[in-house]
Amino acid sequence: MKPRAQQYQNRIELLQGTLDMLILQTLQWGPRHGYGIVQALRTESSEVLQVETGSLYPALHRLERQGWIRAEWKQTESNQRGRFYRITASGKRQLASDLNRWERMVVAIGSVMRARPEEGEA
Amino acid sequence: MKHIWPFAFGRRGDELQEEIESHLRMAAAERVARGDSEQVARRGALREFGNVPLVQDITRYTWGWAWLEQLVQDCRYAVRGIVGRRWFSASIIVTLALGIGLNTMVFTLVYTALLKPIPVPGGARLVTIQNRSLIRNDRIMPMSYPDFEEYRSQSANLFEYFEAGSNIGGILSEKGLPPQAYAMQDATGGFFLMIHAKALLGRAFLPTDEQPGASPVVVISYKLWKERYAGSREVIGRQVQVNGLPATIIGVMPDGFSFPNNIDLWMPFKHTPDLDKRDHRTQWGYGILKRGVTLRQANAALNWIAARLAKQFPEDKDLGASVITFRQRFSGGPVRIIYLLMLGAVGFVLLIACADVANMMLSRSLSRQREISIRTALGATRWRIVQQLLIESVLLSTAGGVLGLGLAAAGVHWLDLATTTIRPYWIEFTIDYPVFWYFAGLCIVSGLLCGIAPALRSSKPDLIEVLKEGAHSAGRRRGGWLSGGLVVFQFALTLVLLTGAGIFIRSLYRSLTINSFIPARQLWAAWLQLPDSRYKDSDARMRFYDQLLAQLHSIPGVSHAAIVSNVPGLGAAQQQIELGNRPIANPVKRPWISHVAVSPGYLNTIDLPLLQGRLFNETDGSADHEAAIVTREAAARLWPRQDPIGKRFRLFDDENKPTPWITVVGISANMVQDIQTSDPKPLLFLPFRQEGWSGATLIVESEVDPVESMRKAVQSLDPMLPLFEPSRLDKNVSYSRQILFLSFLGDIFLGFALIAMLMASVGIYAVIAHATSSRTQEIGVRIALGATKRRILTLVMKRGLWQIGCGLVLGLGAALPVAHIMTLLPIGGVRSEPAILMAVAAVLASVGVFACWLPARRAAGLDPVKAIRYE
Repeated sequence: MKPRAQQYQNRIELLQGTLDMLILQTLQWGPRHGYGIVQALRTESSEVLQVETGSLYPALHRLERQGWIRAEWKQTESNQRGRFYRITASGKRQLASDLNRWERMVVAIGSVMRARPEEGEA
Repeated sequence: MKHIWPFAFGRRGDELQEEIESHLRMAAAERVARGDSEQVARRGALREFGNVPLVQDITRYTWGWAWLEQLVQDCRYAVRGIVGRRWFSASIIVTLALGIGLNTMVFTLVYTALLKPIPVPGGARLVTIQNRSLIRNDRIMPMSYPDFEEYRSQSANLFEYFEAGSNIGGILSEKGLPPQAYAMQDATGGFFLMIHAKALLGRAFLPTDEQPGASPVVVISYKLWKERYAGSREVIGRQVQVNGLPATIIGVMPDGFSFPNNIDLWMPFKHTPDLDKRDHRTQWGYGILKRGVTLRQANAALNWIAARLAKQFPEDKDLGASVITFRQRFSGGPVRIIYLLMLGAVGFVLLIACADVANMMLSRSLSRQREISIRTALGATRWRIVQQLLIESVLLSTAGGVLGLGLAAAGVHWLDLATTTIRPYWIEFTIDYPVFWYFAGLCIVSGLLCGIAPALRSSKPDLIEVLKEGAHSAGRRRGGWLSGGLVVFQFALTLVLLTGAGIFIRSLYRSLTINSFIPARQLWAAWLQLPDSRYKDSDARMRFYDQLLAQLHSIPGVSHAAIVSNVPGLGAAQQQIELGNRPIANPVKRPWISHVAVSPGYLNTIDLPLLQGRLFNETDGSADHEAAIVTREAAARLWPRQDPIGKRFRLFDDENKPTPWITVVGISANMVQDIQTSDPKPLLFLPFRQEGWSGATLIVESEVDPVESMRKAVQSLDPMLPLFEPSRLDKNVSYSRQILFLSFLGDIFLGFALIAMLMASVGIYAVIAHATSSRTQEIGVRIALGATKRRILTLVMKRGLWQIGCGLVLGLGAALPVAHIMTLLPIGGVRSEPAILMAVAAVLASVGVFACWLPARRAAGLDPVKAIRYE
């Protein structure tokens, strides 16, 4: 049995990694501001994914620090100033490796979830 | 790495705010597009976004320097809070200023006296070198000149300088001025070079002045120059006689210079035949170690040389060498403990001050609970609040510290002035860097000390309770035991401090009243030294003393006159003793005993009663009439339960040679010969004739000042002989120096204790007053319902009395061991007396009760109508 703290840490890591990947993915389609990212995630996930701003902005600033995205102030379509984030080359590489890891994990989890009991209650 | 500079994060913070703002605008715009009104849209967007400041905070954390930003923010907030609560902050600052100022001052004292290198280049490496006796507990003693030369020549790799000097009396005489005696240092040529000492006028002597055939020169101190020559510049080149031999004054040293200690005359070495004897030990060594050489290495090397010398020369048997720092030599020993004690005492004062401030902050934090609850409810973490409160208390303590530094500077200045007469010249009280760092550390530590408890407590308020009801009802119970505990702690510490001060002052009083049978106000003393050149042997010296005593007796107004080797109170010579019926072959095992040599009239002169036997007569002390009078204490120690009259003993000198057998002829009452110990220790009186010493103290009982007549009497016998330090016994310089030192310490301790008592009283007053004011409504109701004044008084005072009681009990528990420890200190006459403890406890209790009574009286006099409406 794992100690509690460690279990807790694992959960955080998983969520964080996923959010970073999702943000990078939405930026693949072009530069967006924070609000745009929230909207995009919501529509692309058919309203299932609701990103907390308390997670989004720290994540954006963290990704910027890592050099995976870059920010600049630009005018929006509705003629307002917004901070637009663009994915960088290293961000794209990161996205690819995140995606790879994610797919492997989906497969792994899926195979666990769909596995038939080989013995036991026949 | 783009944002390194502080201004960058300000800009970046604005950007974040703008980013969030644009997010909100876009969200609102979309809602408007969907048909909401502006207001509803904005509110919806905000709700959807969540806690804006919290998101900002969390995002800032990812920048990595959020802590710095927070620090600046907290400091700004704290400053605003401090300035806003002006009186509250002022009282905290003053309390801390007192605590920190006192500590800084005492640390300056201790650092200066014990640690600070003496102010010459390489002062930290300045050491003294001397012999130590391997058979007498490593007691240090001077070296012989030949030994010094061996040490010096064989340790050239260890020392930059290695010089020596001997303390001798120097009698300065010349035409037109009376001969005068000064403390003189007879020193090797490099003495002044070693400490880089430059003369104020003329020059200091050099190694060339020491060479055989060099013309004899002398260097004088500033004090001597001013007093004897009225500061005349013509003094350079003046021909004088020093100890009867011609010399030329070549230099005047700067004001205050008296290296190594209290010296007024310096002469280069003259090589006399005596100097070459290895048992003629007069030289104290001084040296500067080479860089990188440790004391331990120097000690090892010199001891190795000493061991070789001990094998080679019988005179050097049982001699070792010792190298210690100059500091240690001149301010080591018991004094060290006193300084450390003082540091401890003043540390107590600071603790009490911190407890006071902590209490003030606690009561303050009750009224701040609302603010803190709101901040917690808005998402501030506990640590964030603790950090903020601690920054506030550290800022307060720093402000207090700055004020305290001013106090300390004034105190240090006072210390410097107050001790000019009793400290060696190389001790200068100034505030140096180490002192400053100590001070800065104190500020932060005391800020944390007094802030931590309130911060921890108030950072965890009972949110709902406080927000609902206000601080009054919620805080009382929990705050109670903490602030009560602080008061108990304060009272306990104060009791310990007061006890210490009490014991000090009591022992001071005792040392003022020891030997109270001596009519010190009518006794005058002065000493003289018969030069060997003119008084060749004991007979010549005794002839002189006999004639002198007769002359002294004939001075009008003089009722008694006598000769003694050491004035009462200032110590005595010590020698090993062996009793007639109990021979002890091993010299190490022989006990030591103090003795003074006296002329027959001495006991009567100082009014010391004779209990048994007879006084000395004129034949005692001559060959085959060796005699002694012993004090009752000595009799009881040496011959317990026996009649000592007629018993015989003998003493041994430094060369382990026994004296003839001495017979006890009388027993005197006890007296204290050494006020450092203040207990009557065993003491022997020997006839002066028996010892025949060249130095003696004249002691005269007279109604009027006989000093001039005494001087005339001496001059009529020998015009070249000066009289040293004539003074009335109760004003004797070295005697009063001892007393001054004790009374100086007593003053300081009393000061500490009084400040501590004041602080503790203010502390308990503040706590009771605050508790009472937060119960105003309740008290109003009680009065309205018919409670009597008495009941209200007891209600309010009960808690304070409990705290005082607990504090006193705890304090007594702690004061007993402290009192016991103080009695073990070698500082003379300290005794633990239960009476002191009781008196101190009583004083403290009454002050404390008074401090409780003040708010209680106010509470009892409340107008119930106003009290009930009080908020």
